[in-house]
Parts: sequence; C-alpha cells; structure tokens
Amino acid sequence: MTAYILRRLLATIPVMIVVALFVFFLLHLTPGDPAAVIAGDDATPAEIEGVRRKLGLDRPVWEQFGVYVMNLLRGDLGTSIFSNMPVMTLVMQRLEPTLVLAIATLTVAVAFAIPMGVVAAWKADTSVDRVVMGFSVLGFAVPVFLVGYILIYIFSIQLRWLPVQGYRPLSGGIEGTLRSITLPAFALGMTYMALIARITRASMLEVLSEDYIRTARAKGVATPSVLLRHALKNAAIPIVTVIGIGFALLISGVVITETVFNIPGLGRLTVDAILKRDYPIIQGLIILFAGAKVLVNLLIDISYTFFDPRIRQ
Amino acid sequence: MTSTTSKAAAAPAALNDETILSVRDLRTHFYTRDGVVRAVDGVTFDLARGETLCIVGESGCGKSVTALSILGLIPPKAGKIVGGSIRFDGTELTTESESTMRRIRGNRISMIFQEPMTSLNPVLTVGEQISESLRIHQRLDRRAAWDRAIEMLALVRIADPKRRAGEYPHQLSGGMRQRVMIAMALACNPQVLVADEPTTALDVTIQAQILNLMLELKDRLGTAIILITHDLGVVAETAQRVIVMYAGRMVEEAPVAELLSHPKHPYTRGLIGSIPRRKPGAPRGRTRGRLQEISGLVPSLREAIPGCAFAPRCGFATARCTTEQPPFEAHGPRHYAACWEVARVEAKSLSEPVGSEA
Repeated sequence: MTAYILRRLLATIPVMIVVALFVFFLLHLTPGDPAAVIAGDDATPAEIEGVRRKLGLDRPVWEQFGVYVMNLLRGDLGTSIFSNMPVMTLVMQRLEPTLVLAIATLTVAVAFAIPMGVVAAWKADTSVDRVVMGFSVLGFAVPVFLVGYILIYIFSIQLRWLPVQGYRPLSGGIEGTLRSITLPAFALGMTYMALIARITRASMLEVLSEDYIRTARAKGVATPSVLLRHALKNAAIPIVTVIGIGFALLISGVVITETVFNIPGLGRLTVDAILKRDYPIIQGLIILFAGAKVLVNLLIDISYTFFDPRIRQ
Repeated sequence: MTSTTSKAAAAPAALNDETILSVRDLRTHFYTRDGVVRAVDGVTFDLARGETLCIVGESGCGKSVTALSILGLIPPKAGKIVGGSIRFDGTELTTESESTMRRIRGNRISMIFQEPMTSLNPVLTVGEQISESLRIHQRLDRRAAWDRAIEMLALVRIADPKRRAGEYPHQLSGGMRQRVMIAMALACNPQVLVADEPTTALDVTIQAQILNLMLELKDRLGTAIILITHDLGVVAETAQRVIVMYAGRMVEEAPVAELLSHPKHPYTRGLIGSIPRRKPGAPRGRTRGRLQEISGLVPSLREAIPGCAFAPRCGFATARCTTEQPPFEAHGPRHYAACWEVARVEAKSLSEPVGSEA
C-alpha cells in the first residue's frame, strides 16, 4: 500500500513540471513582445524597457526559467504588475471564500447525489428513477448563472431566508459564512450533483446484478444493508473518479458563481487579472489550480485503496 | 410395475413430521420482451429432514429457478411465482412477506451458488461475510460472530482460519472460496441447504473434496440438501433420491440406485448414456464405443408445449406424445415418470441410443 501511494506521489512530479513549463512559456507564446504586452497599449518605449528589466525579460530564456522555478519552489509566484503586490499575498487574501465555496459545493453535491443515484438504481425503471434522472438531465442543461439567479429569486427575494449576495468570512462566525455560502454552493453544485448521481446510478446498477449481491440476499441481508454495505462500496471507484474529474468543472464554475453572488474569491481575482492582462497573477493562478487538481486526483487514487482491497496489493 | 396412480394422489399434501419442505405444482414464469418464459412449469416434490435430493437436467431446464423460487429470490421485475405452493416446516413461503422470507433465508434455508469466484463480495473479508449472517439471524455481537466465523472456517477445513478470516476473497483459491460459501451457508445451522451446481466451476480434484465435505457436514448437522447438478456422476455419489427435469417440468423421480439402473424416461436414459464409462473388463482408457448424445436442442419455453416437451428429440415419440402431455405417475415403488411409452422404453436395453434418428 505504501508503495502504491509513493508511486502515485512520484507520478505527480512530472505533471507539475509540465504545468510549470507551460505557464512559464505562456508569456513567451503570446504574440509580440511580452514586455510590450504587459506594459499596455499606450506605453512609451522607455516604459516597455522598464517592464523588461523589472521582469528580467532581458536575460536569456533558460536563465529566466531557472529563476522562475527557484522562485516557485520558495513559494514566490511573482509580483502583480498593477498592484505591485506579491501574487502569493493576493491569492491568500482571496483563498478563504473560494475554498469554503469549493468544500461546501462538494459536500452538497455528494450528500445529495449519492443517495439519489443509489435510490434510482434500486428503483430502476420506476417513476422514482425517472424523476431522479430527469433532475439529472436538467442539472446538466441549465447553466450555473441561471440556477444562481433562480435560487436568489426564490430563497433571498421571495422567502427572504438567505442573503442575496456577498460573503461573510469565517472570522465573523461560522453561521454567517454558512448562510452566505448556501445558495452559491447549491447553484454551483447542481451540475456536479447531476454528474455524480448519474454515475452512481450506472455503477450501482452494474454492481446490483453481480452474483455476490444475490448471495447477500440469500443470506437474509435487508435491502438497506445490501445497497450500502454490499453494493455501494463496490460501486465506489467510478463514483470517486468522477468526483475528481468534476473538480475541474468546479474550478471553471467558481468563476461564474463568484461573479453571480459577488464573492471576493479566486474566481473574481482570475477574471480581473485576465481583463487587466496581469500576467504574473494569471500564471500564479494556473499553477495553483493545476496543483489543486493534481492534489485532488492524488487523494482519489489513494482513496481507491480504501474501497478495493485488490488495489492494496 | 405399471400401476398408474398420479403422483398427487400417491403423495397427498398432508405432511408427516419427516417432511421439511413440500413443493406442489410450482410454476415460475419470467416476462421477457419476446413473451412469457415458463421456466418452472408444475414441479412437485417433498424433501425429508436430513435427506439429500438431487435435481438433474440440462442448463435451462428450470433447476436453478426452482431453487431461487424456494428462497423467494426470483428478481421481482423479471419474473414471479404464478402458481403452486412451497410449504416449509408448516409455513407457506409463496405468500409470505419479504421480512419473514428474510428471516428464513440464510438462517433456516441457505443456498450455495455455482460460481465461488463471483459469489463472494470482493470488498469484504471472508470473516465479515460469514459473521454477517450470524449477526443478522442470531443477533450475535461483532466479537462473538467473528469467533463463530473462525469456528466455521475450521469446520470447513480451511487451514489457519484465524488469519484467513481477515483475508479477502481474491486471496483465496476457488476451492477455498467454495468452502467459505459452505461455511457461510451453514453458519446458522439451516434445516435445508440448496446447493446450485456447487462443484461445477471447480477443478475435478477439488470437486470430490467439496462434495464429501458437504455430505459430512450434512450428516453432522442434520441438514437436508437439495443438490442441483447436471452431472450424473455427482448424483451417483451423493443423492438418496433424484428428480430429473426437462424444459421446466419433472420427467422422472426415483431413489438414486433405481433411477440409474432402471430409468423409465427416454430423457433420463439419454443423460445416463452420455456419461463416459469403461466397459467392465475393457482395457484402461477404452470406453464402450462412442458416447451417446441427445440430438436436438432444449425447446423454447416461450410457447406452451401441448404434449411432452422431449418428444421432438425422442426416439420413442408417437403422435400422441406431441399433442397430449403425459401425466407424472408411479411406475413402481417411489418411482415416477412422465412418459406415454414407458413399456417400450423398458423393453430396450440401456446401451441403445434414445435420440430420434432424424
């Protein structure tokens, strides 16, 4: 088992190197002189030269890359062109709302989707199944921002249960945070929920036709225990895999959700940086998001050993 | 020898104390896109306490469906028991609620399946899988159930049961897995054990070990066994009484020695003829000529068969056989068969082929 985890861990290194290479050359691949691009349209030649020197763009490429990687390893993601603040500081300021949103979304999606998928598989081809699958198609088809506005209209404007917009930091008490994050988590979680429910149903259906499920029933095991103890653990691997794949969906969804609900998180930082062509921030965020995705996939790979003893060998 | 009392009259439903399970005119149908499949079409038998009854027939003759019907495990969306009765120790099982059936399954009636490779749950340890029945039916706590599971593993002669209990099915060989299945099935000391082709998927050398183990434990625990098989060799070694099934119906029933020496139904003769056997006194490796096969295929069960289902493949068939269903009646002490032509069948020597010469 340790060997398996170690192998998975080592496999993340080449991935991160490729990401770092890509991000570094991102600036050099943009058409034209990177310094001119960064300095903006109205910059004078002197200003462009200033930017070039400041970013070290006058030095050879390999040297630039070496410096870049060394800085990355020290946790230095560069400095924002516009605010002149370290990218790491900017990211840390915006990290909490996004992290809370991501965790809340994941929790909401998994908590609803897995029971839905299990029940749909158990009651396959009945009206219950069709309702769950209909909901799942809807969850895929309706865009996040629309779900967001509908939820705001119902729960904030009509029922007045939850705030319309904004984010309350954890330092002001967890209740405020939860109230401010509930609607965004559901809006963002809808697609995710649809995806997980669908794969849970499919995977459960397959497992429920296995011989060992019949054995369990022949032993006198009651239905809830057949579904959860005997079937779900066997059906788990495709489900957790999709949860991992869905994490990529989550990152792009965060940008939209944070905009709709006016949450000052990494998504908004990304949009602002792109609009202002603040390259160091964009580069830093790509590294960060890629790192998060690699980390999640690593956790998922490791979780396989928990579900299937055959992988532990 | 040819008195024609029908079986229902000969063996009335009034049960004596010795009968643990009594099946009467069981009919189980499946509903497919192409129509109704009459998988079991009127099966009747009694099982005495501690008896070993074999049900024999080709694949698709309704053996396994009979077994699943007894345990109430017919998948409700696919099919159901449409007629007949199954009485177990005074309880009518066909009309019993799911929760009562659940208390009977794995506790008073257990089942062993054909495929030990796929019949055990790959993500649970064998100890967990054995102790599960004990925790459900005997309400043992985790610790006590685990200890009992280890005892059961020792009983089915798995070496080092303490360590094995903590292992997963993929760490065990096929034979060991079937031993685990037996341990699981017998954990609650059931009155009836239904074994559906328990040795078919195993190596020949392991088959005898598993059969002997089952028979030994049966004697020790007093369990009655319904052994479902297509292998007459297994029947000869294990059964006390045999039922031969064909196309969802019973074609013959007799004590094992009587059935093997004096088969009355052409299909039973065909099955016996297809066993490889050495001629007495013949040199090693020499069988008595070519193996006999039964030509033709098992009929589709989608349409009602008016006459005898075996008629199209039967060398003794007459016009009557294809239009009128032969009754299942006594042709000797405890010997029943469903055939219009028993007299002609008996007149022929056992070694002659039964197939139609078409």
